[in-house]
Amino acid sequence: MITMFKVTLASISLILGTAALAAPQKLQEEKELELVDFKSVKKVLQKDGLSQSVKLKEKKVEAMKKEQSVVEKSRFTYPTQDELWGFVSEYWLVKNAQLLQWDFQKPDYGLEKSFASILEGMGFYQKKFKILLLNNPSMVRAGLPGSDGEVILLLSVPFIRSLDLSKLEISLLLLEDFFRLEQGYFKKAVETEKLRTLPGTNFHGGKPDQSMVQELMTKYDKQINETGFTFQQQFETTKKMDSFLKSNPELWNSYFHLLGKIDRMVKTNHQYKDYVRLYPSPEMQVKWLSPPEKVL
Amino acid sequence: MNMIVFLLFSGLVFAETSATDERVVGVFYMKPLLGHVHQSAVKESASLTTIQCAHPVKVIETSRVQTDPLWAYVEVADHRGFILKDYLSEKRPDCFQARYPKFYDSLNLDLAELYYWGRLYDHYVQGHTRVH
Repeated sequence: MITMFKVTLASISLILGTAALAAPQKLQEEKELELVDFKSVKKVLQKDGLSQSVKLKEKKVEAMKKEQSVVEKSRFTYPTQDELWGFVSEYWLVKNAQLLQWDFQKPDYGLEKSFASILEGMGFYQKKFKILLLNNPSMVRAGLPGSDGEVILLLSVPFIRSLDLSKLEISLLLLEDFFRLEQGYFKKAVETEKLRTLPGTNFHGGKPDQSMVQELMTKYDKQINETGFTFQQQFETTKKMDSFLKSNPELWNSYFHLLGKIDRMVKTNHQYKDYVRLYPSPEMQVKWLSPPEKVL
Repeated sequence: MNMIVFLLFSGLVFAETSATDERVVGVFYMKPLLGHVHQSAVKESASLTTIQCAHPVKVIETSRVQTDPLWAYVEVADHRGFILKDYLSEKRPDCFQARYPKFYDSLNLDLAELYYWGRLYDHYVQGHTRVH
């Protein structure tokens, strides 16, 4: 009986020993985790608002990521059409710097004051202008669109000298170009399909269409050096000058004499033979301004 | 001996004056798209360096350099020269290059173009009419 009891005890202890060996041993970390049972402290954390702050942080990160992607995308935007006009006009001036010869020491005609005073006299307020004098006899004048309602007016110093123009006469020439720009002749002549559709759009993931700027450059060249203005546009400009200057006989007379001077010079000075083609024609302008002849 | 001490002392005084006389007025930022630091306070003067819009420049005041009231005496990197005050801003300006960087970079302006673009702003006769 005693032997029987000993055998049973031995087998029980053997079973218990095997069971202890079979149970997987837990890692120290696991034991620690068991000690910090998050499930058991979840309610406490919620009470402290910690899970809420985690959610807020997640939202903040998401918003920041969105913002970052918007900023990144905006880097791939074309300028607006208004910004492009000014930018392209200046780019054209830079590309043609050597040809136009505007990088030279020029006389100070005091044009910023005299031209501003003429514009104000005509009732044009809050107008910004940039005048660029050229040292090129063949490129006489031009008006380029700027940004934000600004105009860029080009005028040749050799032309001013050839005609011995006064400050007032120079300002009247600039006023003519200002009116042409106001009428939108230049923009209409050089505008392209791409300039109508691309500005303000995004090209994220691609490259900007450089042909938009190149096409504009070519059109600028053509309009300024070859096409110029039509008789109809010249007639409208002359009539506009007439109506604005009529209230000031001194200015009107100066303008009338100025056109006569230009007419005489372009007919005699071979250097300015292209002027009539681009600005037709001083002779007609004088005629349009002259009172109708009475037939007896 | 006394003479030598006097000369040394006066030299020290002069060095002190010339060192403390110079004052940094502040850091300003370039406003136009591109611009030049000029050798002298004349629009047509030679360019020391070309800088882009929003480039910071240190405006300096010193009795050793008399400037035209329209011009600022500035320090940019290793260069000291002149920039028209109209082209400087106290706040960082909103530049075309920064608004449309990819479009601007795609033009790949070469050095000559960067130079001429800066010169352009020096040569403009700029004006505006009053507010009615």
